[in-house]
Amino acid sequence: MRATFPHLLHLDIVLGILYPTLGVEIVPPPPITSRTIEIGVEHAPQNACFPLKVTLGNFVEGIERGADTVFMAGGVGPCRFGYYGQIQKIILEDLGYDVQFVLIDHPRFGWRPFFQALKTMAGGRFSFPRVKKAVSLAWKALVFTEELETQRRALRCQVVNRAELDMVIDGALQSLRKVESGSEFERIKKEAWSDLSALERKKENNFLKVGIVGEIYIAQETRINFQVEKLLGDLGVYVHNSVSTAQYVLNTFPVLKSKEKLEAWELARPYLKRFVGGEGIDTVGSTIRYAQEGFDGVVHLYPFTCMPEIVAKSVLTQVSRDFDLPVLHLAIDEHAGEAGLVTRVEAFVDVLERRRKYWKKAEGE
Amino acid sequence: MELYLGVDVGSVTTKLVLMDKKKKIWASCYLKTSGDPVLALKEGLTYIEDHLPRGGEIVGVGTTGSARHLAGVVVGADIVKNEITAHAVAAITRVPEVRTVFEIGGQDSKLILIREGVVEDFAMNTICAAGTGSFLEHQAVRLNVPIEEFGKLALQAEQSVRIAGRCTVFAESDMIHKQQLGFAKPEIIKGLCESLVRNFMNNLATGKTIEDPIVFQGGVAANQGIVQAFRDFFQGKKKIVVPPEHGVMGAWGAAILAMEYAPQETAFQGFEVVNRVFENRSFTCGDCPNGCEVVFLKEEGVIKALWGSRCGKWTPETVGQKFAESKLEEKTDQRELSVS
Repeated sequence: MRATFPHLLHLDIVLGILYPTLGVEIVPPPPITSRTIEIGVEHAPQNACFPLKVTLGNFVEGIERGADTVFMAGGVGPCRFGYYGQIQKIILEDLGYDVQFVLIDHPRFGWRPFFQALKTMAGGRFSFPRVKKAVSLAWKALVFTEELETQRRALRCQVVNRAELDMVIDGALQSLRKVESGSEFERIKKEAWSDLSALERKKENNFLKVGIVGEIYIAQETRINFQVEKLLGDLGVYVHNSVSTAQYVLNTFPVLKSKEKLEAWELARPYLKRFVGGEGIDTVGSTIRYAQEGFDGVVHLYPFTCMPEIVAKSVLTQVSRDFDLPVLHLAIDEHAGEAGLVTRVEAFVDVLERRRKYWKKAEGE
Repeated sequence: MELYLGVDVGSVTTKLVLMDKKKKIWASCYLKTSGDPVLALKEGLTYIEDHLPRGGEIVGVGTTGSARHLAGVVVGADIVKNEITAHAVAAITRVPEVRTVFEIGGQDSKLILIREGVVEDFAMNTICAAGTGSFLEHQAVRLNVPIEEFGKLALQAEQSVRIAGRCTVFAESDMIHKQQLGFAKPEIIKGLCESLVRNFMNNLATGKTIEDPIVFQGGVAANQGIVQAFRDFFQGKKKIVVPPEHGVMGAWGAAILAMEYAPQETAFQGFEVVNRVFENRSFTCGDCPNGCEVVFLKEEGVIKALWGSRCGKWTPETVGQKFAESKLEEKTDQRELSVS
């Protein structure tokens, strides 16, 4: 079995750690490029949401690299995401690819299919201690990749040499690909932290602070969202992203639950009481949290036609007014133009800067 | 006298403004970009040089518009700013109590909300042509009416006719249909103006509170038919101001931003730029399937700036090396840079 899977930021690194220990060969799809998007757009239904198209492109490119199995997460109903697997399976069949499509659903929708899928994904031999060890290391790696990205967002405006920052983080990510043991992992982690703290910082520290909220895929996948975080960082903005795959995974297990998410839902309650699908509530709750933490603005990223986020967007209009917090909404799909996006982000940062100056002046009087 | 130069290179027109420390405009010009921003810039610079007051010296330059980065390199800008900020700054300078800015240009339109002299919110339409100057120009050609006469004709109409303005192509077929029903030209033009206004309001103003005074600027503000259509839309209840400088507000804003930025020493290249040879070259990088179209600007054979390299591997140095090594230059795609 040679399995491929969709990209989601550094998921390939995490699965690259998990799978060799299980004896399953994985074929990561090549990095997302314009070609990936072209393939996805060509074969997916026109009005499907953008992440479906991109991940479909991943599968086709993975199969071209020699994969005979596709791993995909399902989830019957947070939103249209629940249909992704089923639709992609049919599309791949129609295209004439002879591949096994393993769709893992939430155990809530049946423990039997869940374990069956898990068993296939674990290479048929399902020995609990072995899986546990591999999962634990992969989990730590997932959390670490997210921490690294958090540092990249936060430090971009602070360091003197941005290229060095990218070098440290990309270097750590690269060495993670080869990690095999827990001790090796700890060494990489320690090294990365000391390298990061050794970077030369700028003297001033009153940066504008912008939070990112939105749909899990678009808000995280930098190769799709025109690197909004980098753009903001280059404009001298401190960036924090409220979206995290680790928290998402945690939250799917009833016993664990994500503290962060529960907190966000609680905050969103005065505005949005019910689950509206996807990350709709999280978007609203995280925006309120950013307002309370004194952020200057929020960037809302979502796929064009994403229903949960459109609900959140309407709610955010009121949140933005109540908390006096500017929100920039960016809908992304294959038609989104980079020039227009850059102009809007630049103008948004100008708005935040001028607001700060204005308030400072008003306070001084 | 210390002067500031503001440059706004848009998709359809190029604007330059020469301003003094009191933000007074000494000279301004409004030219067609015609797909060649460098040539338009040179023309504009020549005009400004001819109208430079005696003893005037340029101490700061700001650029804006969709080709702001290119213009910034060619002219030598101290500050390169997006057009939303530039337009807002100019509107606040012209009408300090302004609360809303409508800006309709050649290929995009903007709505800016201002409260107490600070931009609070904005919206920008860059996807669809149906709310922009290009839409009107296209229909004017179809109706065989010079675009300058367009607004005046609309005012002559006694009644209006509703034309679907959601999409440029469908607007055209609807317009033909209305012509065949026997509506006169002025009525159809009035209908077009109203459909543009409707489109602007639907696309940009949904969910936003429009308060007056409204400053209406951009090239399309010259069209009295559109101004009237906006007044009708608000049933005459909102105050709409069209400043006499409406066409060059972006460039004026860029000049004001350059003055606020107050460079120690300006990066302005001088009016000699007009005599220098600029070339736009491009090649498609084939190193990964992204196939980035890398565009670079050469000044007198030296690469000055470069755009479009997503991964960042192409810089003026690496591109220079690439061409020096393989002499690929002859084979490259020598298309002129078109700015959209």
